[in-house]
Amino acid sequence: MKRFAAGDVVRVLALGKTGHVRIPHYIRNQIGRVTAYCGTYLNPEDLAVGNTAGRAVDLYRVAFAQTQLWPDDMIPHHDTLVIEIYDHWLAPAEETPNAPRP
Amino acid sequence: MENDKSPKGYHDVGGDPAGDIPMVDLPWLHWEKQVEAIRGLLGDGTRRIVSLDEVRRGFESFGVEKYNSLSFYRRRLEAMTDILIEKGIVSRAELDEAIEAGTLRWTDVDTPS
Amino acid sequence: MPHDHDHSEHEALVIEDEAGNIEAQIIVDALQEVLIGKGLLTALEVTTAIAKLESPGIHLGAQVVVKAWTDPDYRARLLSDGRAAVQELNIPVTEARIIVAENTPELHNLITCTLCSCYPRSILGQPPSWYISKAYRARSVREPRRVLAEFGLDLPENIQLVVHDSNADMRYLVLPEPPEDLERFTLNELEELISRDHLIGVAREVV
Repeated sequence: MKRFAAGDVVRVLALGKTGHVRIPHYIRNQIGRVTAYCGTYLNPEDLAVGNTAGRAVDLYRVAFAQTQLWPDDMIPHHDTLVIEIYDHWLAPAEETPNAPRP
Repeated sequence: MENDKSPKGYHDVGGDPAGDIPMVDLPWLHWEKQVEAIRGLLGDGTRRIVSLDEVRRGFESFGVEKYNSLSFYRRRLEAMTDILIEKGIVSRAELDEAIEAGTLRWTDVDTPS
Repeated sequence: MPHDHDHSEHEALVIEDEAGNIEAQIIVDALQEVLIGKGLLTALEVTTAIAKLESPGIHLGAQVVVKAWTDPDYRARLLSDGRAAVQELNIPVTEARIIVAENTPELHNLITCTLCSCYPRSILGQPPSWYISKAYRARSVREPRRVLAEFGLDLPENIQLVVHDSNADMRYLVLPEPPEDLERFTLNELEELISRDHLIGVAREVV
């Protein structure tokens, strides 16, 4: 059962994981809005250590306001960044003007 | 803003300060294609010996000096050999022996046999 | 076998010199020999795989774009399931999914991979060296408008810029806007308008 749907506001967790992860530091702890569900995929954190038997994970595309990611920079308010985030790195968040418009 | 207290990998450069973009487009050399071909074959459905994720883990674990001093495809080659050795598919010794033999062949090219 | 790598003053790209390329060729040949000796691959498989790696390229991306420009139903299918639509043109796709990001008069897309160099290789071939550089990967997410300006594209502020970081299983192609007077071009002429820079998003106008 998918936890999120397009339009949901989410926070990217700072899981503090070492080793191979595909969630860049610049996006951790940021609030964004889910734009699409991508399907389920094997977790690269498992694959990187040769574990091909791990649980497949839901993957979402999530959009972030650039003004939110880089608050000290002069950026047009409508500019966004979209990135793929695995389910276990996401938590629901309250609706906020900091997330891009749906 | 501190986004996460865990250490940031040296490959995780999104948002870092950086200079001008090098407007170059280098040709893709034969050895580079060979590296990609071998990696693809080793990771294919019939073999599943080394995956792309393992290769990425490989170059993310080299250490920053090695990462910064190698070209992109050399990083892939080094990472792939590290993982193959780690998994016991090949040994450092047999690889070194083959490299040494290859080096001799290369430098002997002009020597009459 | 120590040798020097050329570090450009902009810190971005390490380029092998001749000694480095020879060394790398020796190492990959040695690795291949050891793997063949263990029965894990054959020389024929490697040469076949290399030929397959060499066959995709911008010409394939251009075919996809021109089909989308000239066939609205295909364009809809491409935007809905990029991989399936590309495969309709007999272009084999190895990536799990292809997302086609459509430019409009109000929106421009830019593709990057900050963590390594993810790129739709089975369609477009290898990415350009600058795409892999630290400078592009670092700055494309943080100051994409300055990056575009370095490529000669001054994007007006009223056009929304969407940057896609291909960090996981999706791979991306930009669908540039068609030329205004589409009908006066032949299909071949249209394909020739499209460059790799358009498909990554560092160029916007095709004419």
